[in-house]
Amino acid sequence: MQIHPEQIVRMLIKEAFVSRRVVVGVFVLVNGVLLAMGLTWPKFYAASTSILVEDRNIIQPLMQGAAVATDVSDLTRNARELIYGRRIMDRILDHGGWSESQPSAVEQEFLIEAIKKRTTVSNVGRNLVKVEYRDTDPGRALRVTQKFAELFIQEGVAARAAETRAAYDFIDKQAKEYEAKLSQSEQEIRQVRGSNVDARPVSEVELSARLALLNARVETTTMELREAEIRRDSLQRQVSGEADVTAGITREGQMRARIGELQARLDTLRLSYLDTHPDTIQLKLQIQDLTKALESERQRPSQGERAGRGEMNESAMNSPIYQQLRRELSQTQVTVDALKARIAESQRLLREEAQRGKGLRSGDARLADLARDNLLNREIYQDLLRRRERARVSISLDVDRQGLTFSIQEPATLPQAPKGPRFWHFVFGGLALGILVPFGLLFVRMQIDPRVRFGETIPKAHNVPVLATIPHLWTPDELKHLKAELPVLKLALVATVAVCAILSALRMAQVL
Amino acid sequence: MSKIEKALNKARGERHNRPGTELGPDEDREPIRGTALIPEPRGELVRLEDISRMNQNEMPLLDAEGLSRHGIIRPELFDDPAVQAFRDLRTKIMLQGQGENGVVLVSAISKGSGSSFVAQNLAAAFAFDAGNTALMVDCNFRNPSLHRLLDDPSTPGLTDYLENPDLDLSTIIRPVGISRFRVIAAGRKREIPAEYFTSAKMRRLIDSVRRRYMERFIILDGPSMSDIADIRILSELCDYVILVGRYGRVTGAQIENCVKEISGKKMLGVVFNDEPRIPQIGWREFWFRQWRVRFPWTGG
Repeated sequence: MQIHPEQIVRMLIKEAFVSRRVVVGVFVLVNGVLLAMGLTWPKFYAASTSILVEDRNIIQPLMQGAAVATDVSDLTRNARELIYGRRIMDRILDHGGWSESQPSAVEQEFLIEAIKKRTTVSNVGRNLVKVEYRDTDPGRALRVTQKFAELFIQEGVAARAAETRAAYDFIDKQAKEYEAKLSQSEQEIRQVRGSNVDARPVSEVELSARLALLNARVETTTMELREAEIRRDSLQRQVSGEADVTAGITREGQMRARIGELQARLDTLRLSYLDTHPDTIQLKLQIQDLTKALESERQRPSQGERAGRGEMNESAMNSPIYQQLRRELSQTQVTVDALKARIAESQRLLREEAQRGKGLRSGDARLADLARDNLLNREIYQDLLRRRERARVSISLDVDRQGLTFSIQEPATLPQAPKGPRFWHFVFGGLALGILVPFGLLFVRMQIDPRVRFGETIPKAHNVPVLATIPHLWTPDELKHLKAELPVLKLALVATVAVCAILSALRMAQVL
Repeated sequence: MSKIEKALNKARGERHNRPGTELGPDEDREPIRGTALIPEPRGELVRLEDISRMNQNEMPLLDAEGLSRHGIIRPELFDDPAVQAFRDLRTKIMLQGQGENGVVLVSAISKGSGSSFVAQNLAAAFAFDAGNTALMVDCNFRNPSLHRLLDDPSTPGLTDYLENPDLDLSTIIRPVGISRFRVIAAGRKREIPAEYFTSAKMRRLIDSVRRRYMERFIILDGPSMSDIADIRILSELCDYVILVGRYGRVTGAQIENCVKEISGKKMLGVVFNDEPRIPQIGWREFWFRQWRVRFPWTGG
């Protein structure tokens, strides 16, 4: 059978009644202890201040890439180390008045440890550092907190400046080293060049690039030349062919036109006259002549070819197409000549370069080495110079407090009310614990004790019915004793609560 | 002394003077001595007469305080949860017997479970009913308790009767100042109880007291279950076994072990004894009495 919570509660109350002396004893004891604690608990006053560590300001976007601002997250993370550091702590000891009694080194250690315990440094938000200090004296709490903020800012700025300065010094030193190296290598180059006049610091890569360029140019020009020549040949062929065609077309056309005319006249005459009319006969003869002439003209081209090109007649010469072709041909001829000249020039340059390359390879290798080193050193040197300038700007930022800024977001104020548990906390805690502890103990006993406390559980667990659950029968003697005992317990309870109330009232009236 | 009491004493004196009737209602007669246990023909009249005679106690009845002092319930406290629980228990046993009387062995699961308390009060609950009587036999020789109810604790009891063949049964059945409630104390001898229980005389004793009056319930206050040998023998003699476990004293394992030992038919169940109870003593009065302000105008 399931035990219901209310059954447990009821049974707890009954058990508490059975062990009433212990319950009342624990109640009185717990209350006494907590009242004593409440009375002796030191009053702590807490002062806190928030410091904003800001790196986002107007200068940063302007100086992007040129100056490096200190990382804020590192600084807030290290704030605890900085504040708990001996340097700040020593000054806090002076400021808080602990050093007046001239403590020994060991005592100082203890004092510092105690101060550390009362100080909490926390990161509230990304770049907000909160320093809280607790002290029994509110005035000192305020002074020490203010000093903490002041020293933290001071140290933070100093640390930042020192860091930037160190970076600058390092870069500067490196730059100087490279400067020396560079001047040394240049000196050597001068010496080597003095002994070897022809040597020029031309790198092989550069040379081969130049050779490749010239080769490419020659190839391109050659291709262009080929193209121009093909064009020229084609034009020449066209020019000769065009003359023949023009000449042929001109004469045949004239003859056919004449024949057509005559045929028209003949047809007109035949309408009026017989074929025997003299005009008609004459016309017929003329047509026959012309037809013969046309036939002979048709056979002329073959004769013309046999005779050669020289026989270009005037009509062909006057054709506009022919003239245009001639013009293009002469232009192409000019292009071909120009390209030939260019190829020749490029090949000459190529030969020269190849010659020079041969000289380089066989020439002074040391000079090449020197030139390479020099180039490398120069690059690094220039980079270092740039970095040094950045560092210099960063220093200027720090000096002007433009880079990383510390500002007190919330200044420390004089704490008015003590922090931590108050007297009434102890009073109410005592009353609550005084009830909870004995009942809790009884509950724990009920849970872990294997002995049966609920008759209802027996039938299911052990398969035997419970005939009756007999409650305790109070005998007259027991009741007599109980009646004698209860007022004592009641007095103890009432007295405890009364003491709590009186002490609370006195505390409220600030008598205690 | 009132007139009624005088008359009762006179009647008692007359009965004592009559031969064969001087031992009262529980005298042991011939049938028990004999081998054949022939029940006496008993009519309604005889039985009622016997009951009325049982009511005439040889010792004055205990008053309420006396009963309370001995931790015995009385019917007037009908709203007391303990009294209700015992009446409930009694009713269950009577229902189990289906009108027949029975022998009930009450044994503690562990020492200090209060089996004697339960046995006494169970017997008292039987005796509440005018139609029933109760005889309680103290079989717990190691730790007897019944003699405390008697005027003279040294009166002969069960062990004396079993040991001494001359002792009459009527001498050991004693009134205790409660109506319809008789007891047989443990007696003066307390060695080797198992031997006594196995004797034929013991068996005869139980049979005779059971058969004598049909309305009489016999309650054996047995030793605790740790004396398992005695319990086995006693459980042979009885009809029902009741185990008593005390609140916050017995473990589940102990209950389990004891239940295994008793034969299933006779095992009636467990009585869970002495559950804590907050007495009704007028708590409101107790807490607030002293703060009651008496104003002059309230007139005291």
